[in-house]
Amino acid sequence: MIETHGLTKQFNGNLAVDDLSLSVKRGEIFALLGPNGAGKTTTVRMLACLIAPTRGDATVAGYQVGAQSNEIRGRIGILTESPGLYEKLSAEQNLNYFAQLYSLAPDAALKQVRRYLELLGLWTRRAEPVGGFSKGMKQKLAIARALLHEPDVVFLDEPTSALDPEAAKVVRDFVAELKGEGRTVFLCTHNLDEADRLADRIGVMKQKLIQVDTPENLRHKLYGRRVMIRARALDDAQVDSVRHFDFIRDLRRDGDHLSIALEDPNAMTPLIVARLVQVGAAIQQVTEEQHSLEEVYLNLIKTPTASLSRKTGEGEGGGDSK
Amino acid sequence: MNLTRVRAIVAKEVLEIRKNPLLLVTIFLPPILFLLLPLAILAAAGSTAGSVRIPPDQLARMRSISPALADISGIEFLQLLILQQFLTFFLMMPLLIPVSIAAYSIIGEKELKSLEPLLATPVRTAELLLGKGIAAVVPAILTTWVTYVLFLIGARLIVTSDVVYARLFDPMWLLAMILLAPLFALFAVNLGIIVSSRVNDVRVAQQMVGIIVLPVVLLGVGQTTGLVLLNSLTFIAGAFAMLLIDAAVLYIGARLFQRETILTQWK
Repeated sequence: MIETHGLTKQFNGNLAVDDLSLSVKRGEIFALLGPNGAGKTTTVRMLACLIAPTRGDATVAGYQVGAQSNEIRGRIGILTESPGLYEKLSAEQNLNYFAQLYSLAPDAALKQVRRYLELLGLWTRRAEPVGGFSKGMKQKLAIARALLHEPDVVFLDEPTSALDPEAAKVVRDFVAELKGEGRTVFLCTHNLDEADRLADRIGVMKQKLIQVDTPENLRHKLYGRRVMIRARALDDAQVDSVRHFDFIRDLRRDGDHLSIALEDPNAMTPLIVARLVQVGAAIQQVTEEQHSLEEVYLNLIKTPTASLSRKTGEGEGGGDSK
Repeated sequence: MNLTRVRAIVAKEVLEIRKNPLLLVTIFLPPILFLLLPLAILAAAGSTAGSVRIPPDQLARMRSISPALADISGIEFLQLLILQQFLTFFLMMPLLIPVSIAAYSIIGEKELKSLEPLLATPVRTAELLLGKGIAAVVPAILTTWVTYVLFLIGARLIVTSDVVYARLFDPMWLLAMILLAPLFALFAVNLGIIVSSRVNDVRVAQQMVGIIVLPVVLLGVGQTTGLVLLNSLTFIAGAFAMLLIDAAVLYIGARLFQRETILTQWK
């Protein structure tokens, strides 16, 4: 649904986005993460045909960015960083205006405006000037505006920023529903927890695209997979009984706790647990170590792009000696 | 060009104007002043009949312009001067009103950060400019014309001389109202857009663009003092010059009103 090849944007010689190549499938929620000034908003603006790329090309919903910009604009919805609503107009007037700009027929426009105002809990406030709305209500209205014309692709730039937790949850739940409707969602966010929960895949960028993968795979690529085992009164002999398994890439002991690096914990953990039980270990807990997306993100961002592939390669195949 | 979108933009702009009391004052104050002030002065001049002494050379000059004025009295001469002076000032309306509307429209969008979602729709730049332009130009022209008609009605009640009153229907003034006023309004809108792209305060924009009324004021003063002779020919020449100036500012305004320029260069 979104394809970019070497997409690059320079402003007065300053590189904002460098050689971005990625592919986002239909019905996928793709989150773009990066620090301020990483080029996320510039990327969205290029894909939404608001600014022209300096180099490279892209297609959105099957249309070429640049040559078919108007076709693209008719098939995308965008939630910008700021809701950008007309505050003196009512919620209904705001949506009606955009329905006409998207060339919706009058009866279809009425239906769509009502549908989204009801869906987002704003129908009873439809006649009130938007200036009196809370931030959450404005954000919901801006989302409704982006979806009025049932776009194939939705770009959401920081959809929950500056929202209280309750409003943020409403927006997040709504974004999750979009996936259920088969829409492609391109999400720019600083909220790593949000990306982790919503996104099928995450791209981390800092001018260049550093990594793209599922949240799980990003964790595994960077840190490998480790199983934590806690057993009562664990002794050396019990530990030694599992140390010889050749599929164990690393084993660390801290008192009654074992931390074991494995390539495939689902298949290998039962073998280790069985052996420990066999040699009399009283196992109390077995869990897979979880790194937060924040750790992954910070690690990726601080890593110079050039050395990243080397580092992730080590993550996959390396580890401490047994 | 999608006319439904243009209509939608015009309707939204008009709706926003109606909901902005400050803008309504800015739009309606000049016509009220330009209507009431000359009528009041005309009435005052009428009440001073008999005590007015016009310099003979002024009277001779006026009579040389039009044979119909050969026999006018001093008070008629004074009323004629007032009428001509204020008719010139009427041309300030199509300059002042659209500037305010355009400045509120563009700077308002900048303040609300509503330009980005707007530009992300399939609306074309030409449609957007046309919609905003119509919303600013049409009220200005209509207001100017309505004020002019009201002035004609009011003047009929005050001016007793048919010769003087007939001067209000001089082709020169009809030309000014029908031809120059729209061209002035178009010029003001585009200048409003150009200035609004660089400033973020409506009042600053108004002050900056307000200077464009200066040539009209100078024209009025020049006419009164006899330095400038206004006739149909000068108005046609003026209209032609305005057409060229309009084309130039329209070109600059349209170049500034490109998506990328708005999002990356507008301050």
